[in-house]
Amino acid sequence: MRSSDKKFHAANIVDKYVKGKISRRNFLRSTGQLGLALGAFGAGMNMGPRGLIGGNRALAQGLEPDAEMLAWVKEVSKPFAGQTIRLATEATPPSNALNNTLKKYFEEASGIKVEIEILPLEQVLQKMTLDIASQLGTYDLYYIDQSWAAFVSEDVHDPREQMENADLAMPGYDMDDFLEPLVDGIARYGDRLVGVPYDIPIFIMMYRKDIYEEMGFTAPTTLEEYYEQAKAITDAKGPEMYGATGQMKSGHYSLECDWTAWLWGHGGSIFNADGKFTGNDERGLEAMAYWRKLYETMPPGVTGWTWDGQGQSVAQGVAATMMSWGEFFPYFDDPDATKVSGLIEAAPCPAPTRALRTVEETGFGEIPGVGHQGGSSLAVSKNAKNPDAAWIFMQWATSKDTQTLITTLGGGTGPTRFSVYDDPRVIANNRVGAGTTRHLQVVRDTIANDMGSEPDLPQWAELANDTIPVRLGRYFADEYGSTKEAMDDIAQATDAIVQG
Amino acid sequence: MMVQSKAARLRRAIIAWVTVALFVFPLYYWITVAFKNGRDIFNQPPKVFNFSPTVANFQEVFGVSFGLPRNEVLAGGGDFFMAPHLWSSVVIAVFSTILAVAIATLASYALSRIYFRGRHHFVNWVLSTRMMPPVAIAIPMFFIYKDLSLLDTYLGMILIHALMNLPLAVLMLKSFFDDIPTEIDESALIDGASRWKIFRRIIFPMAKGGVAATAVLCFVFSWTEFLFALTLTQTSLKTVPVVSSTFVTSVGTAWGNMAALGTAAMVPAFIFILLVQKQLVRGLTLGSLKQ
Repeated sequence: MRSSDKKFHAANIVDKYVKGKISRRNFLRSTGQLGLALGAFGAGMNMGPRGLIGGNRALAQGLEPDAEMLAWVKEVSKPFAGQTIRLATEATPPSNALNNTLKKYFEEASGIKVEIEILPLEQVLQKMTLDIASQLGTYDLYYIDQSWAAFVSEDVHDPREQMENADLAMPGYDMDDFLEPLVDGIARYGDRLVGVPYDIPIFIMMYRKDIYEEMGFTAPTTLEEYYEQAKAITDAKGPEMYGATGQMKSGHYSLECDWTAWLWGHGGSIFNADGKFTGNDERGLEAMAYWRKLYETMPPGVTGWTWDGQGQSVAQGVAATMMSWGEFFPYFDDPDATKVSGLIEAAPCPAPTRALRTVEETGFGEIPGVGHQGGSSLAVSKNAKNPDAAWIFMQWATSKDTQTLITTLGGGTGPTRFSVYDDPRVIANNRVGAGTTRHLQVVRDTIANDMGSEPDLPQWAELANDTIPVRLGRYFADEYGSTKEAMDDIAQATDAIVQG
Repeated sequence: MMVQSKAARLRRAIIAWVTVALFVFPLYYWITVAFKNGRDIFNQPPKVFNFSPTVANFQEVFGVSFGLPRNEVLAGGGDFFMAPHLWSSVVIAVFSTILAVAIATLASYALSRIYFRGRHHFVNWVLSTRMMPPVAIAIPMFFIYKDLSLLDTYLGMILIHALMNLPLAVLMLKSFFDDIPTEIDESALIDGASRWKIFRRIIFPMAKGGVAATAVLCFVFSWTEFLFALTLTQTSLKTVPVVSSTFVTSVGTAWGNMAALGTAAMVPAFIFILLVQKQLVRGLTLGSLKQ
């Protein structure tokens, strides 16, 4: 039996046993034939306090990294054994899967110690900024949010240049397998690649199937239809349930993310080809008018929430829909953590009201699309103390096999490689439950057809995290006389910062 | 003596209990979050009393140290094993408190008893160091620490927390020493005691309560300090406030785990305060009556 078939079979067996579809005797017999017997049994029995997460742990013991790949790691790492490499990263599902489960395989094979520091996103930026400014080289690898790509582009190695060193190049790494829109949207700045795409949170539509059926709705196909449905649900079920929700905390990056989705969805853009702010043009104001009326269908307090509160409002049954990060979907399916397990369906974001602006019509590489992406890349720092060891780990961590394991073990997070979506081990998790992958086809379609990417300019981190969301927050606090006044203020502040 | 009516006593008791409840309830609620599962934490209406308690959050945060199985993958969570960080916080808080109080005791005694030119300005200068926002010196300190190889070390964190607490400790202790009559020093001097002997054998024992109160404040400030602990540490050393922020993940905040760590983190501070409680009460009342 081929290795991949064996893994697929193992995943199916454990899944069936966890769901109670096969007896313990049959489970043991089947796993014994695969050489997994006691380990898999122990894992299958070990349903921890988080229920189906235990199921994932079962898979963790049945699905291990590819032996051939680990053999390559062992061989190529010999000169670097004993070195320590460090990475500061946000607590994302891929980073957690690597840190908690997978890195031990790499460490055992390579003799290289991997220290992964898990931090909130803004602290990752602070640590990285200090590391760059001091040229200290504390971190060998940088986790780079797409909004920082321009800022760090000169401080990391371009992976294509690193690939030229044949001695350290992983066989079959296949750079072309990374989804092209993600390479463009996350990792490319000018002619350089700022690492390789590492994770891809992206906006998709998530809605309560039961509520939609009760109301006689189907998944919205246009933004206007989405609003009409949200209003109808709020009118019929409020204040117990609301038709929409948001991540609209004043001054927080999440507010900027919501804004861009509505802006792009109305044919607008943040910048024009001359690099001037255009969120205050006719399309920008249309988007704000839409957002304002949709806001009326959301729960009270939404202006105090980031994505955390937004996700909780759906998880606790307060909101019926959410156009937001697809990473939340597997969490919603977790019966131990939410009230909506099995009730949420994924759909592509509603179509924009006007034709999207082209990249040529926008500035700084901005790519309009309702499916706002918040992906990140992984790159080796130019100040790294152990750049070769870091490069080996980076290749292994972003390889097809490891990314498949990350998706399977990391709670159904979206892969950045094309091939991983069709991997049997990923498809095996296409069922209701924690760590489901049943939303991933929507994620892949959104990446291919409707992905929006923020502009790449060195000042973008400041604009996206402060200038724009602070003023949008003031707008929703009714501190401006009109929408036009608010957007003109943002335009003035943004243009001043961009022009330096 | 004024005798209160039964109604007045009842009213006072109600106000007292309501005031206590206002302070205790958030603490109670936070502790209950540590014992709730994810669904109960966000239940609407909130489950204040009627929830099924679970120790799962504590298992995930401290599981390994109790020999319990460690969850390998948490929904959106990071490396949640926090016991070593709790120990790091204890080491840093205890030693920075000892250092700050030791230096401040001597400095404040000198400022209280020894007359020298510009003493008043010196006290103002000490106070002025507390006026600078910590964030203004965090980045310069990072570069200084980098050159001195103090980044990510216990010594570095103990020094910065001691430095941070010194001005407050000096000013607090000075006020305690000021409240001890100088006639006592003068009598001892006449009897032939040296300054050091007076300090060690007479004044310090009288100011023990004030020293305890100062130590408690220094300990609590070090225990809860975030900015320097974040900026001046890297991968090997973390304190509780810094690691608490790692529960904020890309797919939500692990409130149960955060509450479990927060609840556990109250214990060392509570023990420290219990140890100095007797002296603390004396310290807080020291100087309340003027001669």
